[in-house]
Amino acid sequence: MSHTGETNTGPTTPVTPHAVTADVTPEPARHAHEIIDPDGRPTRDKPWIIRTYSGHSSARASNELYRSNLSRGQTGLSIAFDLPTQCGYDSDDAIARPEAGKVGVPINSLDDFHVLFDQIPVEEMNTSMTINATAMWLLALYVALARERGVPLTKLTGTTQNDLIKEYLARGTYIFPPEASLRIIAEMYEFCLEEIPSWNASNICSYHLQEVGATPAQELSFALANAIGLLDLLRERGRFTPEQFQRSVGRISFFVNAGVRFVEEMCKMRAFVELWHEITLERYQVSDERYRRFRYGVQVNSLGLTEAQPENNAWRILIEALGVTLSRDARCRALQLPAWNEALSLPRPWDQQWSLRLQQILAYETDLLEYPDLFEGSVVVRSKVDELKAQARAEIDRILSMGGVIGAIDNGYMKSALVRSMSERVSRINTGEQIVVGVNKWTDGTASPLVGGEDGGLFTIDDAAIRETLHSLERVRATRDEARAKAALRVLKEAARSGASMMEPSIECALARVTTGEWARALREVFGEYRPSTGVDGQRLGLTGDRVDMLRARIDALITTLGHRPRILVGKPGLDGHSNGAEVIAVSARHVGFDVIYSGIRLSAEEIVRSAVEESADVIGASVLSGSHLELAEQIMNGLRAEGAVQHVRVVFGGIIPIGDFAKLQSMGVAKVFTPSDYDLLDIMEEITALLEPET
Amino acid sequence: MPRLDDLASADIARAALTRGRYPVAKLISLVEDQRADAAERRDEALSVLEDAAAERGHHGRIIGLTGTPGSGKSSLLARVANQMLATDLQLTVAMVAVDPSSPTSGGALLGDRTRMNLDPAETRAFFRSQASTTALGGLAPSTYTVCCALTFIFDCVIVETVGIGQSEADIRHLADKVYLVLAPLGGDEIQYLKAGIIEIPDAFVINKWDEPAAAKTFHQLRGSLWLARPLDGDRIPIHRTSAKNGYGIDELARALVDDVRQSGSSSLETKAAHFFASWVQDEWGRAGVRHLDTTLGGAQAFLTGQRGFGSAQAEFERSVRAQLRS
Repeated sequence: MSHTGETNTGPTTPVTPHAVTADVTPEPARHAHEIIDPDGRPTRDKPWIIRTYSGHSSARASNELYRSNLSRGQTGLSIAFDLPTQCGYDSDDAIARPEAGKVGVPINSLDDFHVLFDQIPVEEMNTSMTINATAMWLLALYVALARERGVPLTKLTGTTQNDLIKEYLARGTYIFPPEASLRIIAEMYEFCLEEIPSWNASNICSYHLQEVGATPAQELSFALANAIGLLDLLRERGRFTPEQFQRSVGRISFFVNAGVRFVEEMCKMRAFVELWHEITLERYQVSDERYRRFRYGVQVNSLGLTEAQPENNAWRILIEALGVTLSRDARCRALQLPAWNEALSLPRPWDQQWSLRLQQILAYETDLLEYPDLFEGSVVVRSKVDELKAQARAEIDRILSMGGVIGAIDNGYMKSALVRSMSERVSRINTGEQIVVGVNKWTDGTASPLVGGEDGGLFTIDDAAIRETLHSLERVRATRDEARAKAALRVLKEAARSGASMMEPSIECALARVTTGEWARALREVFGEYRPSTGVDGQRLGLTGDRVDMLRARIDALITTLGHRPRILVGKPGLDGHSNGAEVIAVSARHVGFDVIYSGIRLSAEEIVRSAVEESADVIGASVLSGSHLELAEQIMNGLRAEGAVQHVRVVFGGIIPIGDFAKLQSMGVAKVFTPSDYDLLDIMEEITALLEPET
Repeated sequence: MPRLDDLASADIARAALTRGRYPVAKLISLVEDQRADAAERRDEALSVLEDAAAERGHHGRIIGLTGTPGSGKSSLLARVANQMLATDLQLTVAMVAVDPSSPTSGGALLGDRTRMNLDPAETRAFFRSQASTTALGGLAPSTYTVCCALTFIFDCVIVETVGIGQSEADIRHLADKVYLVLAPLGGDEIQYLKAGIIEIPDAFVINKWDEPAAAKTFHQLRGSLWLARPLDGDRIPIHRTSAKNGYGIDELARALVDDVRQSGSSSLETKAAHFFASWVQDEWGRAGVRHLDTTLGGAQAFLTGQRGFGSAQAEFERSVRAQLRS
């Protein structure tokens, strides 16, 4: 997601760590609370780029949404792609069908891009694409679109997210092994530096790390270690002159999270700015200040948004936005806010508009942008920033001593550290040590009128949209020059094998109407697919006490009833890769005495069924956050029926599942549904255990 | 309630002989059943399998795959098993992966499946996870019986265990051939090898051959084998693989397929005594062992008079109960 090109707005004064009076000539007229323009007059800053992360259903529906958002005052685009596009599958692939158009827009070919950007001038747009494993492909499509429209590439500004490290750790839409992934990223930097100089080839993301539980020090250190890994690689590859390398340091940009502890978050951002300034000088000897600026965009925290009393999320989002805008020296360059009801379902246009208005009020109504940095000279802020920096430095050193981010992913260190932070967070909430209003405190309240309404406050996807996508895909396959498409794929594979840049071959694939699935399959054949370590090993939960003991006794009793220790298969069907919910369930289930078969992420319904049957699982726990729970439940239940196992396995679903779908799931045979409001892990374990106990 | 009781155990066994996925899984659950009254059902099922194998005059072979945590053996197993299936289009393979249980809760996290990537449509392969029931790893009490049952159905049964502590001894008794998987090591760690686990394996696999220290480890291991096993040290194969980039997988898969095809059936009889004694120890403790050794003349002698392992278990239970009552 996010963040802006060089062309943008945002604070114009270089941000320096020890920000400073040195560049201000003492003008008697100047007040410390004023921002002075080059002509010596008081002024105010331009606002950050205002975006909304959006896209759904089909290229046409998303195009309409973007044009309406732009007309309402949004100043940049942030494109959400659906999971098949992110994982490199065509919409009609078996594993893709249930997910097509669900969490973003499906893009199968250049024809879809022409529809997506219809009547939107790409040369005037700052376009951010949340795309990772297939980032090179989506950039190739954007370049091909510009070429077919006759737009010079130098006019394109925007970002491809393209951070595979955080995909391995947190987000899950990786395809290729680390070496191949990093090579793709490096080739994009090498292509963009001269060809599309205002394009951010990647965003170093700490956003997703916080979403899976990272502490501020972990967010700082993991992201900075990630950036170090990337720059070290670019230097080692030796394709840049020293001057080009300095500029490439200036192209590194970040995508950060901000939680509700907004003072600490503001300090975290100042720590980021200072550490980056120091690292680029110490490690890379970048002398030009411009190339050492910490440029970042933000999407504020979704992890802390609650399903209970969802209207409270509006305040949380506001407070989180303050964390990344209050301090001028560490202000974001682009901001995306989630919608208040994100924990319930995908947002409707009105929900997105409400978040957009928050940004506009903050940027245009308030006086925020009239002042220099508000925290300059604060002893409290200085001390907190120093503490965060020291913790982050120590952690960066630890990661570098393991061989950098790749080493610390291979040995499971970073993943385990995140899983541990998350399980600590969950236990703090369970014990009430960490207060979440409306969840573990002040839970009684008047029902919200916001979730009433005809649609129940929820967004649903129109079936016609997916038919249109599939139709367009068939048309492309039927009408393209087949020989050109085949040749383009052959050249792409040759480049992948030989080590030559895959960027131009990918652009030719785009122009030749190769499809997303074909592009990814060609590279899968060369690079293989990656399965990272799960992070569930060796984790402990702080759950103890009578309830745990009683539950363990109940599970021991089941050994006599069942003839074996109860077995639960935990896995994530479908393409959504947010694995931490499933991991916490797996760890909890073992903690109370289940034998847990953890089967990982990105599984087809067939794979889940096969595993459950072969393992004689008593329970299947399927976690789905992508909105595909109905299709997946149907496939799983049908699969169990075909194997003759359906009466012997209890199926439970967890994830972001609207209450309206509970009855449908139950009628399919799903025994229990858990949502984010079921935050108490022991409650969940007790309910699952009860499913196996003889009725009394 | 998920119960196995709705089909007669002989029927389950007969259905499992054609490798139906669900019947095979039910058969394993039946064999694993920890309840006191399960012995007879187990006996019934095993008898059906034993008779069928006797008729065919042939049953499968057991391969042990053991290695230290971090040696990458699950990823290796995934690649090698898929390659074995591709190398020999008639071959059928069952895999049993054993992981340690938590000492506090008794539960286990069985994660080896994550790496398998088995084609859901592949009917020649079967994968099952088992909890060892102890914290140190090694085999579960029922691993032997489960593997025996599977040899009557599959050409090859691969048992994967964490190789630390005393588990090596058990795996040697269970498997016809033991492969020890190693990751490239530093010089000091090779000393540890000399001391203990180098004695047991029939073959070694240095996995992660893509890593820089791999070649050095190979030479050190070869040197250590000369010292530790002067009689056969030269002949012990050391395979070199990388589950990451596929190096050496073909060759290892070929060696395994050849072993399965050329060496014939697993010699279950010689294993039975060891596992029967350890089953008696687990189920009946010292009193049971005394009964076996004094009244029944020891595991070997007792088994000779029995129709099979399942019958022997059922018969022993009757006998020991009778004695305890008297």
